Amino acid sequence: MHIPDGFLDIIISAVTYIASLAYGYIALRRIRVSRNSERISMVSVLAAGIFATQMLNWPLPGGTSLHFVGGALAAIMLGPWQGFLTIFLVLLVQCLVFHDGGITALGANVLNMAIIDVVVAYFIYRLFVKKFGARNPVRVAAAFLGGWLGITLAGAACGLEIGYSPSFPYGPGVALPVMTGWHAALGIIEGVITALTVVYLTQRAPHLIFSEVGDEK
Amino acid sequence: MNSFRKALIITLILVLISPIFGVILADSVGFHEPLDLVAEALNLQDWSESLNWTPLFDYTVPGLPAEVGYIVSGIIGIAIILVIGLAINRLASRRKD
Repeated sequence: MHIPDGFLDIIISAVTYIASLAYGYIALRRIRVSRNSERISMVSVLAAGIFATQMLNWPLPGGTSLHFVGGALAAIMLGPWQGFLTIFLVLLVQCLVFHDGGITALGANVLNMAIIDVVVAYFIYRLFVKKFGARNPVRVAAAFLGGWLGITLAGAACGLEIGYSPSFPYGPGVALPVMTGWHAALGIIEGVITALTVVYLTQRAPHLIFSEVGDEK
Repeated sequence: MNSFRKALIITLILVLISPIFGVILADSVGFHEPLDLVAEALNLQDWSESLNWTPLFDYTVPGLPAEVGYIVSGIIGIAIILVIGLAINRLASRRKD
């Protein structure tokens, strides 16, 4: 899902940069106000872990691959602000240090994976747990759905960004269904890994699932 | 603090095995990023490839075999993330004057 340079035109690039910077500004302010040192420490450790798992590309026949994105896991563990910061750190290092994802597309990549994926997964998980209780079957369903829908909608956003850029000749009519469909399929794996990890953590280290603690800051 | 240490150990193990997936198996199926393939098919110009800003392009380290370079890249990436995280933590916990 990492958009390289060359796909996005300057307006899409600028709009996505502005949206990501605005969310990032609010997130940093919220994090600073909360001063939850344990949760902030967890950001870099989780970001390091997600960075490592993203290096585990599972190659698929036909010359493509899938890897865990981790936005839903970060959201469920740390909430929408620290979850954003976690995935933002991963994307920033991937782009600037390893040229993975374009510099002109960094705003779009952050918007898709660190904001849309994170926020969607967080609200689905919170909604399920609040409505049906913090029980394991609920956690599995919520984490799976959060992981799957987060990736699917992030893929859809990616399709719109590419589709509305004039350099892509087929427009959103092609880019949107292709990117959404492909990520809806890949999102099943994301959902399964997210659900298994969340259930494991709730058994072994429940204090790390901050979105169940109820501290929204 | 103990769970942080455990998480870091697991992360390092993941990096050590990562070339199996990111290099060896990827080469065996002729992996390319799907969007890179689309860009090539559509003749889109990725100007940044000719204006590369990092010696660690695509998780490689100049002079090292791809598998070793992938591991070294992983360790460098993790170290940078932890340093930035530490800086943010200090910044966030600093008292407002």
